[in-house]
Amino acid sequence: MSILQSAVREIALNLHSRPGARLITLLMVALAFIVFDTFLIISWNLESIMDKEESLVGMEVFLQREISTNEGRVVGDLISSMSGVQSVYFVSPQEAEALFRAELPGRTDLLDVMGNDFRLPASLQIIFTEEAMSQGRISDLSRQIGAIAGVEDAVYGEDYLPGLLKTVTTIRRLVILLGIVLVSSISLVVFYTVRLSVVRRSLTVDIMRIVGAPWWFIRVPFVIEGVLMGIAGSAGGLAMAAILSEVLSTAVTHRFMPMSWMTLVILLGAVTGTVGALAGSYEKER
Amino acid sequence: MLVTMTGVRLSYGRWPALDKINLEIRQGEFLVISGPSGAGKTTLLRLIWMGDKPDSGIVEVAGFRSDRIKRRELPQLRRKIGIVFQDFRLLHSRTIFDNVALPLQVTGAGNRIVQKRVISLLARMGLSHRRNSFPHELSGGEQQRVAIARAMVAHPFILLADEPTGNLDPEVSREVVELLLEINRGGTTVVMATHDPRQVPAGKGRFLFLDKGILRGADRWTELDQDS
Ligand SMILES: Nc1ncnc2c1ncn2[C@@H]1O[C@H](COP(=O)(O)OP(=O)(O)OP(=O)(O)O)[C@@H](O)[C@H]1O
Ligand SMILES: [Mg+2]
Repeated sequence: MSILQSAVREIALNLHSRPGARLITLLMVALAFIVFDTFLIISWNLESIMDKEESLVGMEVFLQREISTNEGRVVGDLISSMSGVQSVYFVSPQEAEALFRAELPGRTDLLDVMGNDFRLPASLQIIFTEEAMSQGRISDLSRQIGAIAGVEDAVYGEDYLPGLLKTVTTIRRLVILLGIVLVSSISLVVFYTVRLSVVRRSLTVDIMRIVGAPWWFIRVPFVIEGVLMGIAGSAGGLAMAAILSEVLSTAVTHRFMPMSWMTLVILLGAVTGTVGALAGSYEKER
Repeated sequence: MLVTMTGVRLSYGRWPALDKINLEIRQGEFLVISGPSGAGKTTLLRLIWMGDKPDSGIVEVAGFRSDRIKRRELPQLRRKIGIVFQDFRLLHSRTIFDNVALPLQVTGAGNRIVQKRVISLLARMGLSHRRNSFPHELSGGEQQRVAIARAMVAHPFILLADEPTGNLDPEVSREVVELLLEINRGGTTVVMATHDPRQVPAGKGRFLFLDKGILRGADRWTELDQDS
């Protein structure tokens, strides 16, 4: 038998030993990951809600005063036929005034000062498709729209709704901060759990050392165990989180996390499991 | 000289576990190191298999020097050293055969060689019929014989036995010491640590006495004999 064959046999023997202890370790890892997965699902849904909020902040196109309601609607039709535009809503001067009074009740005096002849300009509220937004075609579109006859000015949402964007940014920062805290604590839990399960077999490491096994021969089985425990634990946690999400889906409408996030979760499990196993096998070494 | 220690000192924390150790072990010798609990016997053996390195002084074993040996050379040294412990240290989930075969398997020895060597060694130890048993199915004396077989399987030039009879009753202890003497007659150097040197008959070995980490060359065996 070559030393590689022996090593493979050693890996198999190691994986077969102590099924009870291994199950408990696996459960610990999975439970730690359920907490993390729940956080990820919540932040993923929060993210998509915020995306939607942002996309609702469309563009406001102010029309020239001379433009009649009919002409305004024609401009609106023209814009809605452009690719990247999802919807166009025509706001008549009367509606604009009602909106103004509803949204800024404290400033109605401004309208009164302007006198009865004053009319707010008619405008078009434009919402772009998600595709156009993600491809960054908005500035192009707004230039095209600005060039259309009868258009006075085209203002993108960010300019007039900075409050919402600021809130969204703050929430995003909080989520990222919480994510970092959670990733660190999950990593520590998995690291120490896997390390402990390897340290419990320090007798094996001891014996391997005194009979002159090369370092890789001693560690490879533990590293493989660590990788597998990390992957199995994080995958198990994901599976349980998925079941939980399915059960709750009728009560709270939400989406499960995307594939790329799941891959990262399992990768995190694999890495922390490996590092934990390595640390455990070095424990006895001086 | 197989083992040379010069001016060796090793401390765990404040107190030296070993100090001013100068020791030479010749090829083919049977060396008995005795001393009370905590005297440093285990520590001395650890220095020989380089499980520890001295804080000062040099340990040289079969050409490997403690101050020069590289980490990856340690396995090479340990393959030439057999070690036996008071608590046997067998792998509980493996058969007697696999326990004895371990030192050969970690070096990638061929299957046929492993089979031949392990089976003949087990036969010599009177354990052939137990080769598919597990350690917990064996008596203490049998387990220690398995441990000795494991230590000898790769033809080491030195066998270190740390309190090999510590967990055994007198009758079985005598058998184990007899086995070690037989191994020594076969040419293997044996270093045995024990708190009771009377286990080894006078004249069968060289006796050294460790006291609080200091090595005394006196033949303590006669003194102890007179005490009792
Ligand atoms: N890993 C360690 N950490 C701290 N102190 C240690 C360690 N190993 C040994 N010692 C100390 O070193 C001294 C010598 O210990 P050693 O185990 O060599 O004694 P011993 O002669 O083998 O004793 P025993 O007969 O009880 O086995 C003791 O005082 C012990 O407490
Ligand atoms: Mg001891």
